Amino acid sequence: MEPQLSWYLALSALLFTIGVVGVIIKRNVIAMFMCIELMLNAVNLTFVAFASFFQDVTGQLFVFIVMTVAAAEAAVGLGIIIAIFRNRESLDVDDASILKL
Amino acid sequence: MLVLLFIIFGGLAIGCAINVVAQRNPLYCAISLIGVFMSLACLYLMLAAPFIAAVQIIVYAGAIMVLVVFVIMLLNVDEEERRNIRMGLLVPAAVILAAALIGEVAFVLWSVSPNPTLQPSDVGLTNSIGSALFTSYLLPFEITSILLLMAIVGAMTLARRTEVLPPGARVVPGAQLLAVSDLDPSASHDVQTPIKSDSSAEAAQILGIVDRDQSKRD
Repeated sequence: MEPQLSWYLALSALLFTIGVVGVIIKRNVIAMFMCIELMLNAVNLTFVAFASFFQDVTGQLFVFIVMTVAAAEAAVGLGIIIAIFRNRESLDVDDASILKL
Repeated sequence: MLVLLFIIFGGLAIGCAINVVAQRNPLYCAISLIGVFMSLACLYLMLAAPFIAAVQIIVYAGAIMVLVVFVIMLLNVDEEERRNIRMGLLVPAAVILAAALIGEVAFVLWSVSPNPTLQPSDVGLTNSIGSALFTSYLLPFEITSILLLMAIVGAMTLARRTEVLPPGARVVPGAQLLAVSDLDPSASHDVQTPIKSDSSAEAAQILGIVDRDQSKRD
């Protein structure tokens, strides 16, 4: 018996859910950032699984572009994190509530 | 054999992902996340996508996580403190909703047919990805390069340290801080009086320096 497509989809859904839970319950900006990376990876796994099972190269190209966007997001996101830390001396998201009414 | 590998790497990915969420120290989160990336790369290899597996290791585990760990080290992040949040009725509601969601997903995954099988093909090889990327998908590729350029500029702008001002200087948002020597090269260069203005012309006026370009135009 070979691993089925649905197994990969289930694994990906599980990883994505763990990432969502992490974004919700984490307080540290860097930890939330890493959970977002986890969600991106879960989606990548779905893309690669579909691309391989349906023998279409488009899915893997999309993964390639998602990785590029993730790298850009990492650069800009970490820049923002450094700016927040410089202004507030803390990485707790509850401290950065200046836009809250 | 493949089933065993799937169970090993899938279990490793899920375990490391749970550890990412459960750890309080961001550095341990980062190292667990590298574990997730590695096991996902192995799953990509099982899915006959060696190029994506290599890029996963190089870009994610190599570049992005090094950046994250670097920032964690730079900022000297301390552990999250534990805090008590009142849940109340939220816990049973969450359990019911999660059970409904899991049931739906399981139903969809088990009832979808036909289930395709993995056949040998050259879809995941670097050759086919490269030829598709540079022929039919050239426009997304170029847009991605512009995105990366924007990210570089944005990251530099965000992380730049702008405070090379004397300690007594007061910065007003929207104002520009200039030294006298910037406006008038003939002035002595050790003069560092900061002034507030919205433009160089206004600064020159405040400092009593005749704006030569302005007078020439008049």
